[in-house]
Amino acid sequence: MRAFGEVWRSNIFQKWVMAITGLLLFLFLIGHLSGNLLIFLGPEHMNEYGHSLRTMVHGAAIWLVRGGLLLVFVLHVWSAIRLSQRNRSARPERYAKVDSRTSTIASRSMALSGLLMLVYAIYHLAHFTWGTAHAQFYAGQKGWEYTLADGIVVPDVYRMVIASFHEPLITAVYILAMILLGLHLNHAIASAFQTLGVTNKRIVPVIRLVGPLLGIGVAIGFCSVPLSIIAGLVH
Amino acid sequence: MNLRLHIWRQAGPDATGMLKTYDVANVSEHMSFLEMLDVLNEDLISKGEIPVAFDHDCREGICGTCGMVINGRPHGPVAKTTVCQLHMRTFKDGDEIYIEPWRARAFPVMRDLVVDRGSLDRIIQKGGFVSVNTGNAQDGNTIPISKLDADRAMDAAACIGCGACVAACPNASAMLFTAAKVGHLASLPQGQAERSTRALHMVLQMDAEGFGACTNHLECEAACPKGISVEFIAQMNRDYLASAIGGRD
Ligand code: HEM
Ligand code: SF4
Ligand code: FES
Repeated sequence: MRAFGEVWRSNIFQKWVMAITGLLLFLFLIGHLSGNLLIFLGPEHMNEYGHSLRTMVHGAAIWLVRGGLLLVFVLHVWSAIRLSQRNRSARPERYAKVDSRTSTIASRSMALSGLLMLVYAIYHLAHFTWGTAHAQFYAGQKGWEYTLADGIVVPDVYRMVIASFHEPLITAVYILAMILLGLHLNHAIASAFQTLGVTNKRIVPVIRLVGPLLGIGVAIGFCSVPLSIIAGLVH
Repeated sequence: MNLRLHIWRQAGPDATGMLKTYDVANVSEHMSFLEMLDVLNEDLISKGEIPVAFDHDCREGICGTCGMVINGRPHGPVAKTTVCQLHMRTFKDGDEIYIEPWRARAFPVMRDLVVDRGSLDRIIQKGGFVSVNTGNAQDGNTIPISKLDADRAMDAAACIGCGACVAACPNASAMLFTAAKVGHLASLPQGQAERSTRALHMVLQMDAEGFGACTNHLECEAACPKGISVEFIAQMNRDYLASAIGGRD
């Protein structure tokens, strides 16, 4: 076998890393979305869910998932930066005129949408997980306890979400981030399966149709929470 | 018809180039695009100016020598057509046409519209062949090949190595070219002996030449005069991984 480093640095190998980590991130987002949608079932379900996440396997599960997610995220961003740099340097002189046929705004702005999402993800954690960005809405603060039906007292995540999204700026930034996510995934999902080498003539057209729909669907799913709160459907 | 051309002029590999404007009159719609440039060059020569350099050979769409970016599209606006087979009836009187060379780090401009595509040759040298012993030629049809495989190999073998895929790709990636060569030989029994190292060697050479990576924009397939499918890129992604982690090199 070749020196591992040589294979690892090659463009196609980096694409494999990008595709596998990207799909894992997408799977995580589907899980995350399912949790978020519990808000429509009321505070009991949402807070109970939050509590079970923190206590699963004596609290070890959440740290395992966080560690794995961090690794996957770092690998994805790292390959993204390396590949984007190489792609840029592969065409040092630009054309005076370009008339593209198949590339889309989504496919041409992957690095930009990704980088902006990275910035948003850090802010998002500071807001909802660490409670440093908007401390006045943090579920872990004194006086925001919620008592579950079985008597256990937990942080009121439900209240945190409702209160946060009543702040127009928070909602606007959130929706903007979800538009970027929809843009990224609009290209990413079908692209990942091409990178993974799917060639079946019946499956490929289905992936090219369903991939963008799934990506945009997930983004719309996330947006449904703040929009319902603003509309007063959830309070 | 009368046309206004903006053509990239560059005296040599290290000279700075720029777009220059030329007017050509009385262009017949039956001319090919290259014949139209021939007319311009005759005119330039008669005026004592240096004619526009461009590559061409067969002028029947089979050799892959010609190629230039016309109004932002490699080989011009018509799908599955080389620039030598592009006819002036595609344009109309008064059109302005931008003509530029293939642009890629791996395709340095030699002069005007002529680029050095030696990088593609070096990719081929790394594995785009099958090794056969010399001696008597084998009888035809001694190696059974299914119609399906033969057709698939033929689809890939249609690549004429023109480099339009690189020119069209926003990342100047040579994935479609390389994938066509890898896919061609991977489809045939004769290609199996060296299959486990072919994709690895050719892909590493592609990287070393400074081509970009694939972002799956699919611009290459749309620009390819032979309509090579990006399906071959997907297949090469698999072949590459297999030969990188399981191959004998
Ligand atoms: C929420 C998280 C994210 C998900 C679900 C996600 C998903 C994906 C997927 C599935 C792909 C397709 C891989 C392929 O084409 O084979 C991809 C590509 C890409 N991602 Fe992400 N991504 C995420 C975050 C990011 C971030 C934070 C960046 C930051 C730089 C980024 C940058 C890119 C780039 C540049 C590409 C395309 C690169 C190329 O094809 O050359 N992504 N992403
Ligand atoms: S794949 Fe198509 S565009 Fe690319 S070199 Fe071959 S014939 Fe030309
Ligand atoms: S000159 Fe041979 S393909 Fe155009």
